[in-house]
Amino acid sequence: MAETITEQDHRALLRLHDVQKRYGGVRALRGVDFEVHAGEVHALVGENGAGKSTLIKIVSGAEVADEGSVEVDGAPLGGGSTQAAMEAGIATVYQEPHLFGELTVAENVFLGRELLAGGRVDWATQRGRVGELLEQIGLDRAIGDVRVADLPVAEQQLVSIAKAFAHSAKVLILDEPSAILTDREIEVLFGVVRSLRAAGMGIIYISHRLDELAQISDRVTVMRDGEVVATRPTRSLSVRQVAELMVGHELRADTADRVVPTGDPVLDVAGLGRSGAFEALDLQVRPAEVVALYGLVGSGTDAIARALYGIEPADSGAVRVDGRAVRLHTARDAAAAGIAMLPGNRKQQGVFADKSIAFNISSAHLRYLAKFGFWFDRARERSLAQGFLTRIAIKAPGPDTAVGALSGGNQQKVVLARQLVRAPRVLVLEEPTQGVDVGAKEEIHRLVLELADGGSAVLVISTDLPEVLQLADRVLVVRRGAMVREFGRGASQAEVLAAAAGDNGDDPTSVAADAEGAPT
Amino acid sequence: MTDTRVPSAPGAAPPGGESLAQRVLRLALTERVVLLAVLLVVVVVWFRVLGDGGYLVAPYDVRYLGNALESMVPFALLAIAELFVIVSGRGGIDLSVGAIVSLAGMVFGLMVGEWGWPLLPSIVACVAVGGLLGAVNGALVAYLRFPALIATLATYYAYSSLALVSNANAPISTPPIVALHSLTRNVHLPLLPPVPLHVFTILVPCAVLAWVVLSRSTYGRSLYAVGTNDIAAGYATQPVTRTRFTAYVVSGLLSGVVALVTVAQFASARPDAGVVGNGMALPAITIAVLGGVAIQGGIGRVGGVVVAALLVTWLNAGMLLAFEGSEGSQYQLLALGLVLVLSALLNTLALRRYGRLA
Amino acid sequence: MTATTGQVDQAPPVTRRRPRVRAIEGQEVALIGVTGLLWLVLSLATDTFLTSGNLQNILFTVAPIALIGIGMTAVIVTAGIDVSVGSQAAVVMVVIALLVRDAGFAFLPALAVAVVSGLVLGALNGLLVAYGGIHPIIVTFGTLNIYRFVALQIFGSEQVAGVPGAFAPIGGGAEGRVFGVPVAWWLTLVLAAGMWCYMRFWATGRHLYAVGGDAFAARLAGVRVRRRQISAYVLTGACVGLAACVLIGSGGLVQQNVGAGLELRVIAAVVIGGTSIIGGRGTVLGTLLGALLVGTVTSAVTLLSWPTELTQLFIGGFILVAVGVDLLRERRRSAR
Repeated sequence: MAETITEQDHRALLRLHDVQKRYGGVRALRGVDFEVHAGEVHALVGENGAGKSTLIKIVSGAEVADEGSVEVDGAPLGGGSTQAAMEAGIATVYQEPHLFGELTVAENVFLGRELLAGGRVDWATQRGRVGELLEQIGLDRAIGDVRVADLPVAEQQLVSIAKAFAHSAKVLILDEPSAILTDREIEVLFGVVRSLRAAGMGIIYISHRLDELAQISDRVTVMRDGEVVATRPTRSLSVRQVAELMVGHELRADTADRVVPTGDPVLDVAGLGRSGAFEALDLQVRPAEVVALYGLVGSGTDAIARALYGIEPADSGAVRVDGRAVRLHTARDAAAAGIAMLPGNRKQQGVFADKSIAFNISSAHLRYLAKFGFWFDRARERSLAQGFLTRIAIKAPGPDTAVGALSGGNQQKVVLARQLVRAPRVLVLEEPTQGVDVGAKEEIHRLVLELADGGSAVLVISTDLPEVLQLADRVLVVRRGAMVREFGRGASQAEVLAAAAGDNGDDPTSVAADAEGAPT
Repeated sequence: MTDTRVPSAPGAAPPGGESLAQRVLRLALTERVVLLAVLLVVVVVWFRVLGDGGYLVAPYDVRYLGNALESMVPFALLAIAELFVIVSGRGGIDLSVGAIVSLAGMVFGLMVGEWGWPLLPSIVACVAVGGLLGAVNGALVAYLRFPALIATLATYYAYSSLALVSNANAPISTPPIVALHSLTRNVHLPLLPPVPLHVFTILVPCAVLAWVVLSRSTYGRSLYAVGTNDIAAGYATQPVTRTRFTAYVVSGLLSGVVALVTVAQFASARPDAGVVGNGMALPAITIAVLGGVAIQGGIGRVGGVVVAALLVTWLNAGMLLAFEGSEGSQYQLLALGLVLVLSALLNTLALRRYGRLA
Repeated sequence: MTATTGQVDQAPPVTRRRPRVRAIEGQEVALIGVTGLLWLVLSLATDTFLTSGNLQNILFTVAPIALIGIGMTAVIVTAGIDVSVGSQAAVVMVVIALLVRDAGFAFLPALAVAVVSGLVLGALNGLLVAYGGIHPIIVTFGTLNIYRFVALQIFGSEQVAGVPGAFAPIGGGAEGRVFGVPVAWWLTLVLAAGMWCYMRFWATGRHLYAVGGDAFAARLAGVRVRRRQISAYVLTGACVGLAACVLIGSGGLVQQNVGAGLELRVIAAVVIGGTSIIGGRGTVLGTLLGALLVGTVTSAVTLLSWPTELTQLFIGGFILVAVGVDLLRERRRSAR
């Protein structure tokens, strides 16, 4: 395709050539070429695991490429040091801004590199600079003196951008900046991004929301399996086309041998809502059925999982398990109703890292494993853990091994084992295989299907699209806290992705219809 | 996303083919009880040698060591109290234990000495008052989310003030209270040196009970889970708030027991029993940390704490003999401080070297 | 396709007008209000409260707490704590008491010795916290014992009696007043003002907040985290040195248990003043007001001839109210 942004300066600010990176046996990047020009917003898209984040890590200095070259404004980037990358002009803004709540906006922008006048901060100059910066990026210059903790998250993110701008960054990396923002906040963000572009900065814009690419980006680079599959001007592509490039050859899930589940629903959710997170959710899962909720980061699927498990209770609607109305105000309520949950953040919500495998598995079943109600039966605990070690192939010397010493995949199996102890009626899985190696992933999928085959209802909440399509009998797409589409088995990745990413080309109520690429 | 997992902690590799010396070092660094036991032997042997060499003012013999246990009882019990609250996590600590000892002791003194209550109900009430005061701490920390350090600093002030006001700053030592002193008399058991009675009647049962609760009961499991990672504990259906609250109640109950012990030891209920000088909370916390309780929560055992209390007691007892006059008690301070800082440094070292805490 | 800057102006700023950082925080205003109210009530309820003698006494007794509180505020803002200040004070006091009595030191040299020895004691705490990887409360519990030992060793198993009044210029007597206000209090005010400016306007002063907010992120941003930690403990030591001179005041007797429990009173003043024990937030002005409130309550209990022991009950209550209000505010903020 011919370059279309002829009015722009064509100088390449960032140039990657034939970059390769391996982690153990996994080839994360296989010869990537990538360029960002001055005055360009370059969108970078790809499925989870496509290599985007490895690429970003190399550019921001957190990782070193095994082979290939990275040049910033013509000078090679040494790599391996975030400090060096920053000095070379690379700035990264993450989804969660790393700011200091008690310091003002101006102080955060200049933290560690204050403009000094004899030891004392030169407040006048600093305030002036910040004021200019804030105005330049479309914010009220008065917020320079506001404490960051008093700003909404959206503006905190803009402050991170201002910070990058202040240190005369040449290349700005925005890592899914819009995931947690409202429409109005996204408008402001786009305004800021456009003005940075006008100022000649090169911007890498990572997003899963394909619908916004056309509004903000000039070119799109699509990655898949560690390779760049295409770099095109944004306006030459439709959302549907980008989605197809991302998923590549369609792997129609091969689980036709599963019987179509019938019978009364095990889990019956009616009109469930939690203000600010999701609303009017209707959902049925039958015995032996695996249903997936698919949505992009920020769509509210995680909040639905927490509500079903009583961690952050819903404020409207009703839930029935096996026809009985249940109250889900705490995780205990959920467990009593027969609901188990594998939480999404293993490290924070899942494991007790310095405790043993046995401790971790038994931790949700203390009363179940007790004699006389209080005496904890350690022999039973051990044999339970030992049973799981062999049954689900946890690679560990024994049940006394500390979970923190295991690999991510084995840790995840331990947390999953905790949910399987008393074969729950409903199992909610949140990102069941994130950060897990391929072998463990298959094992986890096998266990989940095994549980379903035993008559339980399984609800998978995942942003891993191939996984969703492989596991689920039905896929429900959630967008901005509302259910927008439902797909049966055999849906293609591209159509599910397009639905989640905001391609509203079709009737949102149609089921399993093969949607045509909609004009954008 | 590509899995960029860091290789598992260095301690994970099974230590194959290490020499005996390496093995001892690893055990000493990772198993606090082993380290403390070694230190205990060193201390006792060292003072025996000093004694034989004539450097001590009195013999450091078995009888002396038995007698020294009297001063161990309150501190061992309060260190166990701190064990419960520190293990409960989120910066758990209880600065108010000494104040509870004073206040519960004064309430006991009033009940027995002034209001003429019978002994047994008074004892129960004394411990219950301790539990109630602990419950106030627990409510502040667990339910209202006050930082533990601040909440218990405030209640430390409040309780010690109430203790002082309760009887116009005067001790209570009426005859029934003086008679309590017999609870701490020495008992002569076969094969053992004379040992203060309340070691057997109070310390050992409380320690065993604490061990059962922490290591063998569902509550103990829940407490370790909550202290290690309270978010994960919530997902594992543990009642996080109630579990943490209960830890402070236990701390209060144990302080109530110590109140009884101190009243019996002094043969009087003193309004400043638990807060005089540096108070009782600081030494108790020191012993707990020395005993392997990690300040970040979730780690610590009764065994380690009891051995640490024993070590400190016998070390102190030895130093009283090694110096003239008040010098001995001064060196006790030095030893306590050094041992605390060094054991914490050792934790850092163990963490860096073996990827886990002692 | 390419945006012009003109489009930016169309994007409405999300920001509404909201309070900027003010010279005085809400908690400080509340403290001034509460203290003012107490003063009003006490002036009406007693004949003795609003007398120069009583007010001078309040200010003088509050000065050491406020002085140490200046350093302690910095320590707690960096998410640390120093419970060893009472023992530090004991060491400094016995050293200068002996120097003044036996070596005939004059006021200024003794003051210098006091500050320097405080610096050294604080530096040891700071080094252990910054490089030892030990939780500050453990470090300072340890040094609390060690410093007390050092003090007792210097005492040589008896109290120091007959200390001449070399420190009268900052003592509690008539000599130690300028314009009717104790010099110790002037000293406190000057130091607090300096520290207030430092923590508000100097780069390294602002870094203290960053360290307490998120030490890891602060290091990434280029803040010298260890240096800031050490500086906070060193400053506290120096403040303890000055406070020790005030405490010796007009001479006389220095007892062995001097300074015991001082740490809790200082921490109480800091916390009542609105400094967050988790770090990252707090001001010296708040600490000064917190100390003043504690001093007022102490005086009030005496003047109303209530049992003096009740003072502590009130201090405990004030801590709970101050922190409780703060917690509520935080919760409202994060609920947004």
